[in-house]
Amino acid sequence: MKAIIIDDERLARAELRKLLQEFPEIEVVDEAANADEGLQKIESHNPDLIFLDIQMPGKTGFDMLSELDHSPQVIFTTAYDEYALKAFEVNALDYLLKPVEPRRLADAVEKLKRSGGSSVAEKINHYSEPATVLGENDQVFVKDGERCWFVKLSDVRLFESVGNYAKVFFGNNKPLILKSLNALEERLDDKVFFRANRKHIVNLRLIEKIEPYFNGGLLLELKGGEKIEVSRRQTVKFKEMMSL
Amino acid sequence: MQRSYNSRYWGFQLAGWGLFAALNIFFAFLFNKYNSVLIERLVFDVEMGVLFTHIMREVIRRSELLLKNLQQQIIIFVILTLIFSLLIASVVSPYEYFCGLKITPAGESVSYKELLFTNLVSFFTLLLIWNFIYFVYHFIVKSRKQQLDTLQLEALVKSLELKTIKAHINPHFIFNALNGIRALIDENPARARRAITELSNILRSSLNAEKGETVSLEDELKIVKDYLALENMRFEDRLKIEYEIDDDTLDQQVPPMMLQTLVENAIKHGISKNVKGGLVRIISDYTGNFHELAVQNTGRLNGGLSHQGFGLSSTQDRLNLLYGEKAKFEIKQINSDLVEAKVLIPH
Repeated sequence: MKAIIIDDERLARAELRKLLQEFPEIEVVDEAANADEGLQKIESHNPDLIFLDIQMPGKTGFDMLSELDHSPQVIFTTAYDEYALKAFEVNALDYLLKPVEPRRLADAVEKLKRSGGSSVAEKINHYSEPATVLGENDQVFVKDGERCWFVKLSDVRLFESVGNYAKVFFGNNKPLILKSLNALEERLDDKVFFRANRKHIVNLRLIEKIEPYFNGGLLLELKGGEKIEVSRRQTVKFKEMMSL
Repeated sequence: MQRSYNSRYWGFQLAGWGLFAALNIFFAFLFNKYNSVLIERLVFDVEMGVLFTHIMREVIRRSELLLKNLQQQIIIFVILTLIFSLLIASVVSPYEYFCGLKITPAGESVSYKELLFTNLVSFFTLLLIWNFIYFVYHFIVKSRKQQLDTLQLEALVKSLELKTIKAHINPHFIFNALNGIRALIDENPARARRAITELSNILRSSLNAEKGETVSLEDELKIVKDYLALENMRFEDRLKIEYEIDDDTLDQQVPPMMLQTLVENAIKHGISKNVKGGLVRIISDYTGNFHELAVQNTGRLNGGLSHQGFGLSSTQDRLNLLYGEKAKFEIKQINSDLVEAKVLIPH
């Protein structure tokens, strides 16, 4: 597993690197001292895992994650930050408190190994496809005010355009992310995600019902109960795809 | 308490009615109208006055009139005055009428109606004065007690605030420092040992800080230096530190942990937010009649004081508590890339 350590303190990075020597399955390929450097290095190394400090100069760790199109596995590291701790507790994200207890680190790595198998397989997939397309198992980091989530794309049933933002529908949540629907469409796998009309992209695997609609269009009902109209032009394409 | 309160009440009663009787006799002598009828009348009037005002006082106390709002109090006082002057007049008038005391000082006889009316007016005036004194006395006592309560409350708040501010060390700092020290144990054991001493000094001084209201600048600077040495361990070449300390100011008394708070603030908002880091400069000097303490840091002031949080607003409060209006505190952008927090303490 390739890992990158992102922390603004050299000593903190050195300490974590030393602790990680106990885990041969984790290979620390690089380090970054701030969010921008982190973004660059994530892009060039495409790591499976990042260790991420929350409080950094310029941008916080959360800010950095929401700029990523898709997020690797993340283990947060923080010294003591009431706000961050609250965010973790609300959303059950994995985090380590500095100074890191070796046993807690072992638990976190163990948990990753159990859940991260698919993610590694997905990475292999990535190389065969154009690197820009996101698979179903990729996760995105979504931050909406105080709350934040890692969301698997396969759990997202709908993207809705709201000005420059897109509303992401999953579970009972629908936070906003700063991305246009067009940009999203380019990055999403078109076997799974379908542009129903100007304002909506739907997840084909999460459609509950399909009904004919007036004017030769279709009305899709999603698993969450949302009703989305498919424009006439897209209906032709939709039928083609579904009949295949 | 209750007894002294009651004896004060009777003192007021006797003094008031005594004064009333004395004035009557004095003016009677002055205009040469003094006679035994006057005395007889006066004795009865005073007796009735004391009796009815005492009943009125019981009514006021039982109805807890003084706890009502001001407007209600005034209206009820006037109504009470009217009712009780009617009562007194209707007791005094028959007595005077049937016992032949109805002759005015001028010697003319008056009708019962006239007598009743005169008595009503004069007792209304007397009771109004009585109630006015009663009301004002209690008003003054109450407001003085309120003032005292406020002062006691302020003193309590002051001591509590000082305690919380003094005890305030950022836990984020402590854990980051410990994490850094753990890394140094292998890398640079000597530096790690020094860092532990520095951290101990800071923790100890924060525990001891509650003992006094002020400390010498020299002691405060020791903590600040230890603190900055630890921050330097974390930030390494991202943090530059300069001291411009006039040695004569080392004996000056300063509020404990105040300079420390300003330095912490400078690091938090100036250095830790900047990818390239920056400079923290600490200045202590005399300007005019003031001891000037200043902390400068690289960076830009964002959005005024409200944005700077607890540290700076508590600095202002502490200065106000210790020195009143005489001490000054300000934070401002002194050039495009330098923020200065400055405290002026009178000396």
